[in-house]
Amino acid sequence: MDTGTAYGLRLREPNLDLAQVGPGTPYGEVLRRYWQPVARSDEAITAPKALRILGEDLVLFRTRRGAVGLLHPRCAHRGASLYYGGVEEEGIRCCYHGWVFDPRGHCLEQPCEPELGLHRERIRQPWYPVQERYGLVWAYLGDPARKPLLPRYDTLEELGPGEHLIVDDTGVGGGGPALLDFNWLQHWENVLDPFHVPILHARFSGFQFTPEMALMPEVTFEYTDRGVRSVQTRELSDGRRLRRVTEVVFPNLRVVASPRLSAGRTNIIGWVVPLDDTSFKIFTLARDTDPDFLRKLRSTHDGRPWAELSEAEHQMMPGDYEAQKSQGSVSLHHEDHLTITDQGVAMLRRMMARQIRAVAEGGHPAGVVFEESAATIRVEGGNYFEDGPDAAGDGSA
Amino acid sequence: MSGYAARLPAGDRPLLMLGISGVIALEDPVVPARTVRLTAWGRWAREVAVPEVAADRVAELAGLFQIVWVSEWGHVAHEAFREVLRLPEAPWPFLPAQFDKLPVIRDYAGRRPWAWVDEPVADLAGPVPRSDGGVVVRVGAGAGISEVDPADLARRVLALR
Repeated sequence: MDTGTAYGLRLREPNLDLAQVGPGTPYGEVLRRYWQPVARSDEAITAPKALRILGEDLVLFRTRRGAVGLLHPRCAHRGASLYYGGVEEEGIRCCYHGWVFDPRGHCLEQPCEPELGLHRERIRQPWYPVQERYGLVWAYLGDPARKPLLPRYDTLEELGPGEHLIVDDTGVGGGGPALLDFNWLQHWENVLDPFHVPILHARFSGFQFTPEMALMPEVTFEYTDRGVRSVQTRELSDGRRLRRVTEVVFPNLRVVASPRLSAGRTNIIGWVVPLDDTSFKIFTLARDTDPDFLRKLRSTHDGRPWAELSEAEHQMMPGDYEAQKSQGSVSLHHEDHLTITDQGVAMLRRMMARQIRAVAEGGHPAGVVFEESAATIRVEGGNYFEDGPDAAGDGSA
Repeated sequence: MSGYAARLPAGDRPLLMLGISGVIALEDPVVPARTVRLTAWGRWAREVAVPEVAADRVAELAGLFQIVWVSEWGHVAHEAFREVLRLPEAPWPFLPAQFDKLPVIRDYAGRRPWAWVDEPVADLAGPVPRSDGGVVVRVGAGAGISEVDPADLARRVLALR
């Protein structure tokens, strides 16, 4: 008799405690305890922009005086969306009856009411705090009593001569749309899965990065105060040793050095920001003398970018997008069979679970900062070459 | 459920379902522990803190129970911890599960009495699960298996019969 057939297959579920991001969900509450990048600064203009972040619909705008606002879209008066509003000097005016709200939700004017609203100061449009830094708009969607500082990242501070700060939200370097249409965790935990690189990005698809990345690495994993780190060692054919350090920093930062193997500490970091449970964006920041650095890093095939490849080519040369998207809109984590090379993924999931418990029990999750003296985060990720000309490069982790 | 079919336990002793993280590999140890570098079959390595008493405690438990690893370490568990815990050459059965372990444990144990020792993180943010068929024990991730009294655990499991 045949055994192990798919007849009657009953699959187990996703781990929603880790994957879901909406208000009140376990990890959604963890994500809300940190500042999140929600848009490029140049997207905050006097035309209202509809945003969806962590399962919440919001409206982003910039007043004519330059202040950025992020408001709940349903007007506190009778519910018309502020997406259709008009932005003025001090705030945004609802298209329906003209109520005006400033970026902190204060109602400034109710033009149909006597004296522009006798009780307008008692009205508050729900809002979120925002800050601008590194060319991004950052928002804090969590408990106001526990709002931390917006951190700085040492690799983005003090640009060198001729260097530009590059802001990008066009998706995964290896290919895929700007708006990624599956659960964010599938991408984030891929950061701690270095063993897929020689398979997916080399054996299957040719050298999507470099020939060195096709070598199966020896990997050490470790917890850090802020996340999980892997150090991947590859013995290169020229006698050098490559130590490639990759990190995840809670709650959703990815520190992945250039797969083209630029030497030294990474000049690229990126946030995996869930729009909801089944879509996310990646906000990437980089520093380089070439403003086109990130675009040039993107994988191409015969000079053609991912979007121009046919379905048959995607099937022949799958990349990160094909692998992660095909895990499902939300992967069935309880069906996974973690094994030797999944240590990083298992450690990440466990650290996520610890943060869930910490937040549920009233504590702070890993890495939130409240003191200015601790507000600059050191990034350790990078490509460090040993026994070669770059051996004296920036301090390897 | 698809895929892996666990090896059935030998003998007729009660089962001890043993987590690894927070049980054998401690988090911020509060008991005497030593840091060991683990690997299995090459390719990866990790440093973990193992309680000083772990090897003796596991040996004592193995005399009372058939131990089954239930953790995200999967089949790596026995190989990686063999030396530090002085484990037998032949690996014990394992169930590859990190969270939501109770259904897996109950399915595996069937009618056989069991105990399950793990850390609270295994329950995510939920309460400690309860089951009429077994004894569920939670240990602090800083002390792990040091907190387990083998004789007492055996008595509690025998009382299930």
